Amino acid sequence: MTDTEVLLQQVITGLSNGMIIALIAIGYTMVYGIIELINFAHGDLFMLGSFLALTLLGALGLEAVEGVGTWATIGLLLVTSAGFCGTLNVVIDRFAYRPLRKSPKLSLLVAAIGCSFILVNIGLFWGGIPMDVFSMGRAAAAPKNFPNLLGHDNLLGDSAILLTRGDLLVVVVTVPLMIGLTMLVRLTRLGKAMRAVAQNPSAAALMGIDVNRVISSTFFIGGALGGFASVVYALYNNTISFQMGYRSGMDAFTAAVLGGIGSLPGAVLGGLLIGLMRAMSDQYIAAHWTNTIVFSVLILILIFRPSGLLGFKLREKV
Amino acid sequence: MHLSSLRSRWIRPTPLLLGAAALWPLADAFLPAGMQVIEPLRTVFIYAILALGLNVVTGFTGLLNLGVAAFMAIGAYAFGILTCEIYPFQIGFWPALFATLGIGAFAGFLLGAPLLRLRGDYLAIVTLGFGEIVQDVLKNLDGITKGTQGINPLPGPTFLASASEESGSSFFGLTWRELGVEDSTAWYYTLWTLLVLCIIAVRHLERSRTGRAWLSVREDELASRAMGIRVDRVKLIAFSTGASLAAFAGALAASGLSSTGEPANYDFQISILAVCIVIVGGVGSVSGILVGALVMIGINSIVLSKAADWIAASGLSSSDNVLLSPSNWKFLLFGLALVLMVHLRPQGILPPSLEDEPGGDEA
Amino acid sequence: MTIAPPHSTFTPPALEVREVTVRFGGVVANERVSFSVNRGEVFAVIGPNGAGKTTLFNAITGVHQPSSGQVLIHGNDVCSPMNINMAVQFGLIAAASAIGAVLAVNADSLWEASISNVFIYDEPFDWTASLRALWDATGNLSILHGPVTAAIGAMVGCSARVVLWWQSRRASDVVAREGVARTFQNIRLFTEMSLIENVLVGMDYRLRTGFFSALFRLPRFWSERRTARAKAVELLKFVELADRKGDAAGGLSYGHRRRLEIARALASDPSLLLLDEPAAGMNPAEIASLMQLIRRIRDRGVTVVLIEHHMQLVMGISDRIAVLQYGKKIAEGTPEEVRNDPKCIEAYLGAEEAA
Repeated sequence: MTDTEVLLQQVITGLSNGMIIALIAIGYTMVYGIIELINFAHGDLFMLGSFLALTLLGALGLEAVEGVGTWATIGLLLVTSAGFCGTLNVVIDRFAYRPLRKSPKLSLLVAAIGCSFILVNIGLFWGGIPMDVFSMGRAAAAPKNFPNLLGHDNLLGDSAILLTRGDLLVVVVTVPLMIGLTMLVRLTRLGKAMRAVAQNPSAAALMGIDVNRVISSTFFIGGALGGFASVVYALYNNTISFQMGYRSGMDAFTAAVLGGIGSLPGAVLGGLLIGLMRAMSDQYIAAHWTNTIVFSVLILILIFRPSGLLGFKLREKV
Repeated sequence: MHLSSLRSRWIRPTPLLLGAAALWPLADAFLPAGMQVIEPLRTVFIYAILALGLNVVTGFTGLLNLGVAAFMAIGAYAFGILTCEIYPFQIGFWPALFATLGIGAFAGFLLGAPLLRLRGDYLAIVTLGFGEIVQDVLKNLDGITKGTQGINPLPGPTFLASASEESGSSFFGLTWRELGVEDSTAWYYTLWTLLVLCIIAVRHLERSRTGRAWLSVREDELASRAMGIRVDRVKLIAFSTGASLAAFAGALAASGLSSTGEPANYDFQISILAVCIVIVGGVGSVSGILVGALVMIGINSIVLSKAADWIAASGLSSSDNVLLSPSNWKFLLFGLALVLMVHLRPQGILPPSLEDEPGGDEA
Repeated sequence: MTIAPPHSTFTPPALEVREVTVRFGGVVANERVSFSVNRGEVFAVIGPNGAGKTTLFNAITGVHQPSSGQVLIHGNDVCSPMNINMAVQFGLIAAASAIGAVLAVNADSLWEASISNVFIYDEPFDWTASLRALWDATGNLSILHGPVTAAIGAMVGCSARVVLWWQSRRASDVVAREGVARTFQNIRLFTEMSLIENVLVGMDYRLRTGFFSALFRLPRFWSERRTARAKAVELLKFVELADRKGDAAGGLSYGHRRRLEIARALASDPSLLLLDEPAAGMNPAEIASLMQLIRRIRDRGVTVVLIEHHMQLVMGISDRIAVLQYGKKIAEGTPEEVRNDPKCIEAYLGAEEAA
């Protein structure tokens, strides 16, 4: 491989991972935008989505599906995981966060951390289910193999640069979702209500907006995007573990902050940048320093531009 | 029943708990083998010191620090490098222990100085990121830190018999063993004394101008500023104090194990355990920290490990079923503890009371 | 009526607001507002809701920065001094940390060269050899060479210091330390602290006990604690709350909270006291005693500036009054002058008709 090819390869990997990160980051940014909560449990929700997908594959015996069936199966997984994650996110909001709306912000954050730990533990137990796909439940904590439904063919033929169906899947799933979401927030009644609640919940309530319903919808959409991301991630990386929520969650949160928390295009931009940064650091610096570099970037951004690349400044009311 | 009604002018929970802890080794001798809890209690002391530091930051000043484990690691490794025989420094237990106080404070200052202007939740995430960075750095600089092996062996306090045999020094010319005291008991009382000193120090700060400024910043940053309080400086002092105590706890933990352990031991779980202790015990309450440490470490080191022993003894294998290994329930317990406390009793088991603060009894 | 205390024309006014404009984005909250308050005066700022009175207070106390114009306290443009030494210090620290960062990146190899290779087990450590090895090793550092790194670090450090200073040169703690105390329209007490502690926080910057004298309870701690508490109790007596000094501030009634907030503001011995709607939500009896209190504060030699809607109170205690409407000053003068000013009558009657 020539130097240019190496670079291009890393760009492809980086962008693909970046799009997945962006999809998760949107979940953080939407929830933060509306109730100013860093939804710590979001990353672990994403993790559970991929576990559900794997269980479904195992239960329906679809690990080795081929042809048209592959895309149908992937569609099924996407819809199920998205529905599951969205619903679970709404349930978490209803029981863990909603009673704390009037409490100090830190209580809410602590509750979210607590939920995150509970979900991690559910993931650990889930990996212990005696099914083939979980190696009969032995070594529950070990990473699980996710069947590679898409194969390893290089879509670019004999080129040294590898572009797989996985990369294609990432684009096919994430780009329409992002466009759809932007349209939803910009153009629909629900989107308008969301923006109103984000700006001033009490004024929105006085205008007759059902604030709790809008917040629930936000949690559903954010969670569902996490569900989509989980299936794409699993199909792209072919391995999942109950601890991946924490790492991916941190990456996604960093992306959301980098782009400017509360801003949808910001989350996408941040995700892509983080993905590229990781790929470049893996290739040109050293893989074992990548996490340090990503977190240092997070810290530096927060020091010098806490509102992120596309965010705006908040002012405290006196 | 309200537990806070247990508090009165005469029953002070902190001395009560510390007194009971001081007498416990006498009782422990009568317990059947396998039921003794001296060792887990030592862990309780160490975590109480850690949580005491976190309490200064989170409880008094209202800044959530999700990276205390990083400062613990800094303390442990600093202690290791200063004392371990594979390095040239070897300055001995006590100097190194007190040096970690300063090193921790300095590390807290370095991280805090640029960051404390951030809003609360952003600060929490940055401290979390810092925790990850410290772990990675310690792992990657393996020429210095020995990577995943950890630094060992580490000395205990020099008046312990085993240590004094090597270094030749001892406490007032006598080893405790010569006085008929077991090593483990002497270590227990050393930790107890250090914990008491830390509690006194934190109390002194709390009931002073410094502590008042911490509380006022927690309550209303803007109003504090309007009173002429330099908020950034006040936060920085709190952050450094917390980091200093965390490093101290880390050094003690490493010395107790005679090894720093691998960097991954100082992970997010430890930080959250400390947060759990503060939240469960009572945010901003020193006596609450003791109760919280007892409850959380009790669950973590006593109940779970005894349950594991019991499951192993009853012949069930934990390798087949994930549910049968008690340590697999840890996350769930921590998570539930946080969520339930925040919902049902946000002020904690033993919340701070005004009588604990100055001004109740005198003019 | 009250008699304005004599003041010499040579002493600068306690507060001078010069052409202050405050803008938030496109909204102009205050436009070229000017007035000056003489020492020992009670000065009131009145105006309909939304006239920009609280914004003006925030601009005076440094919560917001005026977009243009000046606020002079006793003739000084309050501003924390830009100290060249500080910038140099910052530069040096940053230069050191830049070198430190380079060293950290190369920490492993430097350690290897200077410690691991020099240390021989069971032999005394040769510090001079170690330092020499360290020096040699730093010569081949992989990132930037020492002087370049240090220079970049120093530049970044100096400019960071200047930026930091620029951002916080008129922060509210800086203004407060010039002797300006204030209360808030929506009462901001430290509700979980006791009354006496609230007052003690108010006098915080006048106290001298440091971290270590508190930690070790040095004699200075005890002596200052005694005098500070005595003074706090005296202030609580002044606002007639001394009997509740140990209670939590959150448990006070509305009127009492206002009084406590005033005591807290007085605790730092301010020369200028800004009261933001002190009578809001009070009943007539409470207002009467508030008027008494404000007079007593004035008699202590404190200059008082207040925002108020309650006309009886304003007309009863103010020496002079400024009237704001739509962010602009439309009148200024003694209570009689303002009462007879046609523009004021229109502003108020107009506002009442609209309401």
